[in-house]
Amino acid sequence: MAATTVVPRSGVRERLIGMLADGGWHSGEQLAGSLGVSRTAVWKALNGMRTMGMEIERLPRHGYRWRQYEPVGSRPGLELLDADAIRKGLGAPSRQQLRNLDVVLQANSTNQSLLQVEDLPAGRSDACFAEYQSAGRGRRGREWIAPFGGSLCLSVNRLFTETPRQLSALSLAAGVAVMRALGRFEVAGAGLKWPNDLLLLGRKLGGILTELRAEAGGPVYVVVGLGLNLQLGAAARQRIRDSVDGPVHAIEAVALSEVLAEAAHIRNVLAAALVDELIAMLNEYQKSGFHTFADEWRRADVLAAAPVRVLVGENTHSGIARGIDEEGALLLETPGRLLRFNSGEISLRKGDAR
Amino acid sequence: MDIRKVKKLIELLEESGIAELEITEGEESVRISRHGASQPLTQVVHTASPALAHAPAAPPTAPANGAATSPSAQSGAGRPAAAENVVTAPMVGTYYSAAAPGAKAFVEIGTEVKVGQTLCIIEAMKMMNQIESDKEGRVTAIMASNGDPVEFGQPLFVIE
Repeated sequence: MAATTVVPRSGVRERLIGMLADGGWHSGEQLAGSLGVSRTAVWKALNGMRTMGMEIERLPRHGYRWRQYEPVGSRPGLELLDADAIRKGLGAPSRQQLRNLDVVLQANSTNQSLLQVEDLPAGRSDACFAEYQSAGRGRRGREWIAPFGGSLCLSVNRLFTETPRQLSALSLAAGVAVMRALGRFEVAGAGLKWPNDLLLLGRKLGGILTELRAEAGGPVYVVVGLGLNLQLGAAARQRIRDSVDGPVHAIEAVALSEVLAEAAHIRNVLAAALVDELIAMLNEYQKSGFHTFADEWRRADVLAAAPVRVLVGENTHSGIARGIDEEGALLLETPGRLLRFNSGEISLRKGDAR
Repeated sequence: MDIRKVKKLIELLEESGIAELEITEGEESVRISRHGASQPLTQVVHTASPALAHAPAAPPTAPANGAATSPSAQSGAGRPAAAENVVTAPMVGTYYSAAAPGAKAFVEIGTEVKVGQTLCIIEAMKMMNQIESDKEGRVTAIMASNGDPVEFGQPLFVIE
């Protein structure tokens, strides 16, 4: 994982993050004393935290506070990710299959880190988490905005020695795995939008990006990446709004904390549930392809029977979304014809409120 | 087979000086050969596809399976057929020439590529498949444009 930027665990910044994770006020003097460094060093480290998307507030006589999210109704502070805690939360089969589990403070992108792994044995998986992604990737290189600690950014890899059936629907199956994980916490109102946006209350909760390396006729190495908003402060929401680059993406962000108030304090348990379900999904996919996921996907389909527009390259097709076929392709009913799409961007038609 | 694709193949043949070119995509194959004259003769062949049985009879070299490419029989003079130099799409999806919108293309005509070098990305259902070169050489033709939908087995590059 040569390209992963790992902030040293023993660094001032790392320890400072640990101290400020409670969301309370800390004086500069007290922080410097506890860390055994100068106040200038604390100040520099705080600035470093700001570059990682953290909202650091300063008030005379109070000191500093890491403001993590909208405070209404939520307890301040957050639980930082911890590799041992995540491992402990896994079910026995996943724990056996999981090889490396890395938690880094900062990475370019967790997908990029795992794409460089060359020695993964068949039937095993690595998982990589980053508290902050400096170059998180959405689809087609779009920026995935996730402030430090505000989301779960993870990737899981797998080597398929034989190409599974309907390999290209793997991202959809990953969406089903996330739904299963959220189901463990009785999260209501979550759904999937083709091909694999995660929605909550009609807004965007997260997304999946699957990348693969394949040789012709050889084994297929896949990396499934997931970004899931847990809590979003006002500044992060604004950045997401500003980054929106067209009507297709004009979808408001939502954080899990809006329906699961404790989300920020059970991050390791949530992380374990996601890894658990993703590994189980990869096992199932290897065995039977997309087949066993199709119906579950359809039940979570938020756009079923909705008037939508599908953008493919330069062409736009309008019609009624009719779910997916057995290979995960989107079906669109147009006057006189049922169209099938393997790629494209789907959006609700304007003026056709659901 | 898409007529635009056939047209591209003809253009490719005309530019290259290759005597004959045969491409198989799933159940269809096309063989284009020069018959001495400057105009290439095009034959579109659908093998094992009853619905398209009106197509001309298959030439003896038509492969029966769905292999991505197959070296065509050597016939006549000229350079060897280019089938083994053609990189085809391993999956259905959308073709992207660069890692991100506005970014530099992975390869251009004339780029020298090594085995394992990324040539393009094919995206389907948010799965980004980095297509790597399985041969070393110079890119002499690129048959898809950014954002094009591509079919399984569709020729994308010629690397010689």
